[in-house]
Amino acid sequence: MNEIQKQVVIVGGGPAGLAAAVALYDLGIKDLLIVEREKNLGGILRQCIHDGFGLTRFNESLSGPEYAKRFIDEVKNRNIPVITETTVLEITKDHVVRAASRHGLHTWRADAIVLSMGCRERTRGALQIPGERPAGVYTAGVAQSYINLYNTMVGKAVVILGSGDIGLIMARRLTLEGAKVLGVFEILPYPSGLERNVEQCLNDFGIPLYLSHTVTKIHGGHRIQGVTVSRVDYNRKPIPGSDTYYPCDTLVLSVGLIPENELSKMAGVELDIRTSGPVVDASYQTSTPGIFAAGNVLHVHDLVDYVSLEAERLAKGVMDYLVHSYVDDSNVKVIAGKGITYVLPQHIGKKHAPLLSMRVKCPGENVQIVVQQGEEVLVSVEFDEALPAEMIQIPLELDKIQNNNPLEVFVR
Amino acid sequence: MERYDVLVIGGGVVGSAIARELSRYQLKIGVLEKNPDVCLEMSGRNSAVLHGGFAYEVGTNKAALCVEGCLEFDDVASQLDFPFKRTGKVLVGNTKEEMESLKDTLRIGEINGAVGLEIIDEKRLKELVPTVEGTFALFSPMSGILDPFQYTIGLAENAVKNGVRYHLKREVIGIQRLDEGLYQLETSKETFLTKWVINAAGLGAVKISEMLGISGYKMGATRGHYIVLDKTVGPLLPMPVYPVPSTLYMGIHVTPTVEGNVTVGPDADRVTSLEDYGVEQRNMDYLVEDASTLWPNIHRKDFIRNYAGIQPTWLDREGPLKDFIIEAREDVPNTVNLIGIESPGLTAALPVARRAVKLLVDREKPEINPNFDPARKRMKPFAEATPEEQAALIKENADYGEIICRCESVTKAEVLNAIHNPLGVETMIGMKYRTRSMMGRCQGGYCQMRIAQLLQEEKGLEVTQVLYAREESELFTGRVR
Amino acid sequence: MMKRMTCILCPNGCKLKVEVSDKEILSLVGAKCPKGQKFAHQEINNPHRNIATSVLVNGGELPLVSVRLTAPIPKNRIFDMMEEIKKTQCDAPVKSGQILIKNALDLGVDVVCTKEVEQEAR
Repeated sequence: MNEIQKQVVIVGGGPAGLAAAVALYDLGIKDLLIVEREKNLGGILRQCIHDGFGLTRFNESLSGPEYAKRFIDEVKNRNIPVITETTVLEITKDHVVRAASRHGLHTWRADAIVLSMGCRERTRGALQIPGERPAGVYTAGVAQSYINLYNTMVGKAVVILGSGDIGLIMARRLTLEGAKVLGVFEILPYPSGLERNVEQCLNDFGIPLYLSHTVTKIHGGHRIQGVTVSRVDYNRKPIPGSDTYYPCDTLVLSVGLIPENELSKMAGVELDIRTSGPVVDASYQTSTPGIFAAGNVLHVHDLVDYVSLEAERLAKGVMDYLVHSYVDDSNVKVIAGKGITYVLPQHIGKKHAPLLSMRVKCPGENVQIVVQQGEEVLVSVEFDEALPAEMIQIPLELDKIQNNNPLEVFVR
Repeated sequence: MERYDVLVIGGGVVGSAIARELSRYQLKIGVLEKNPDVCLEMSGRNSAVLHGGFAYEVGTNKAALCVEGCLEFDDVASQLDFPFKRTGKVLVGNTKEEMESLKDTLRIGEINGAVGLEIIDEKRLKELVPTVEGTFALFSPMSGILDPFQYTIGLAENAVKNGVRYHLKREVIGIQRLDEGLYQLETSKETFLTKWVINAAGLGAVKISEMLGISGYKMGATRGHYIVLDKTVGPLLPMPVYPVPSTLYMGIHVTPTVEGNVTVGPDADRVTSLEDYGVEQRNMDYLVEDASTLWPNIHRKDFIRNYAGIQPTWLDREGPLKDFIIEAREDVPNTVNLIGIESPGLTAALPVARRAVKLLVDREKPEINPNFDPARKRMKPFAEATPEEQAALIKENADYGEIICRCESVTKAEVLNAIHNPLGVETMIGMKYRTRSMMGRCQGGYCQMRIAQLLQEEKGLEVTQVLYAREESELFTGRVR
Repeated sequence: MMKRMTCILCPNGCKLKVEVSDKEILSLVGAKCPKGQKFAHQEINNPHRNIATSVLVNGGELPLVSVRLTAPIPKNRIFDMMEEIKKTQCDAPVKSGQILIKNALDLGVDVVCTKEVEQEAR
């Protein structure tokens, strides 16, 4: 098959891919190609029509499409090559990217590859919610897509499972479009999404939030007729006898995002079970040399502003790889310790100062996060409040690292 | 009022096999199917296994027709162009009692005509299925796995190609015998006239039998539940693995699907409803716990979905039915009544159909249909093509280059082809069964919007008319603007 | 009395504890910047919100264009504004930033497109 040589192929034209492309171009790498499966660039931002994007990057509260446009314009102004309506089918260890479009099969051989495919949603099937499998059960992103992109209304009386940001946003969206949201049920004892979303999306509309609850059965064989909701104990197990039945015609699930790494696996990229994303070094290079990852495909973000920054940092890593064949070989491991769900990069080299990105396991006030190597505390940061819903980023200077022993990041 | 020579009640694998067999003759044939598609009941809710024929009592129709169906299946799958793999199957045991039981099973199987059965030791077992836990097994090399949706749909589409008319969403609610020797079938919509009635209604067979005036049959139901696992574990299970059947408790099987997933199940619960396909938490817990002793590769992170099937338990005046009943009663002329068609119904569908049709043909003596064509060709799935083939497919039809379902690599060409299917099925699940879209790990998260859009555009459906699977399963309530 | 609120002006989402008497702020704790005071005042007296929703597009590649308001409006007018927006349609092409309704409901805010929608290919 005809292979076309490229310096860098970027898989996915969402916020991570777009920012990486612009940064790479400005660093002097012009032989780029953004491969996007949709007709338009922008990725998931195309359907996130609410505002709150760009607060730190642009000091403005933009909608998703407007944030995306900032980067799309930059890509257009630089004439960065883009191919749309093209779906990547395969990425190999030796940098061959195979894709399909209406024009045929495309095969590129790239010096470096940027993985920016984003993530998918956890489904009802994965959760195994008991009951029948009727129409009317939607993951929040799918409901959002129907309403905002396909002009299709999904239901009238809605129960939402999961208080992550997408679920909260959809509670408001559905209410604005005339549906009745009966309640948001969250299995944890605290909301999964940002507090300001609880305020603007639930409290504003009098939508009740039930913490420590989950849906334990779906009723209705044809279209959903209702759900059974139960209270859960601190082990997240339903408490017998605490069942309540809520008649509804729609169940929206906002129960987790999973980085979409099927293509990464094909390329031999090692994944971290904690993030479901690739194991990377400080410049976001994966275990397959020359393949880099940023954005939701690497770990699920809550602020797109951080995605753009991450992709821009990645660009420097790609530069170093292309120009100096740089691959992290010193392998100082970074370990998520007590109170930390995950931290990346998972290993650090001698060249790139890492920006440690992490999430805490539980909400807390006056939280101290420590980065320690052996007995030596390298960095310690205090947070008035630390929430699992808000990614924490701590820069680490390379000269702080004493030796090749692993670093541990933990909550004291 | 539509007038037929034969009406088959039930468009499942047996009803469609019968309709197709009938179309070898010059007869006006119709199929009345209750649901909006042909594989929504037993035919689409099973283990998808081709059985070797050793599990049935000697001398029964079940045994004979199962073996007949099993042996000819390569030709059937090739003729109707649906996925089938003759993987073999093992029944795994550990105790002395289980060994004795397997020896009996082997003996019975051999009498029934099952081919190639042998008792194998642990070494051989581990060669066949390295991931299984067990000391010895009965190996049935002729067993296999198939796509039950494509099989049923293939039969139906070939029947249509040969002149059979399908009437979907037509539940038979009353049957009257008219003076002219015709039957009048009243459905939820129109009324039909026919000379012959064939009852292949599966879960509805007893009800239809009563309507025909053949009474004495009773039906109970058991519901079996399955968990579907991600394709990543598929390579760990090269063939179905069953525990040795016990009379004391329900041993749970693990079965690879022909597409590379794994199903865990079924168990069996007595139920009263023939419509409730719910899966309870305790069922899922039991499936995992029990099957894990046999095959310890069942992990929550690999769960994609679950489903349930309802199988009837049949009784006649003497007690539980031991065998398939395929009868043409003289006191209820021009009927063929099929009762008790349950597992191995999938394996035995064609042999059952031939028996049923023979009862009609012997009496009616119709002319042969010289135009009968037994072959049905599926559209080539993009996912099964080599890169060279894929490039050629796209060149010929640009719609092959538009990926709609990215988890299963299903293209717009295939989705459009499925939408314009010969049966006129217009449901989302109908598209799922015909293309594999929405069956992957994202469960339609990426593709369902696109498929719903195409359905509306291609079939001129209003947004509120898009059905999920069964009647009254509307997906949408209207437009936003 | 004591009111708790979350400031929504920036991602900090400061948790404010406000001592209120007769709609007058007696004390405020928890704001990381001076905007918090202003926010608390407005939240108590006349809370404002922005809305993001969709407008029907005629002849476009997409059936809807996403829109928002150029500034937040009183919370109690949200559904009035939704009704106003639902009555509106526009024709493709539309550009991001294009004003669809000027001074909507006389509240001093415009309804503006946040996305581009090209004309549908013939």
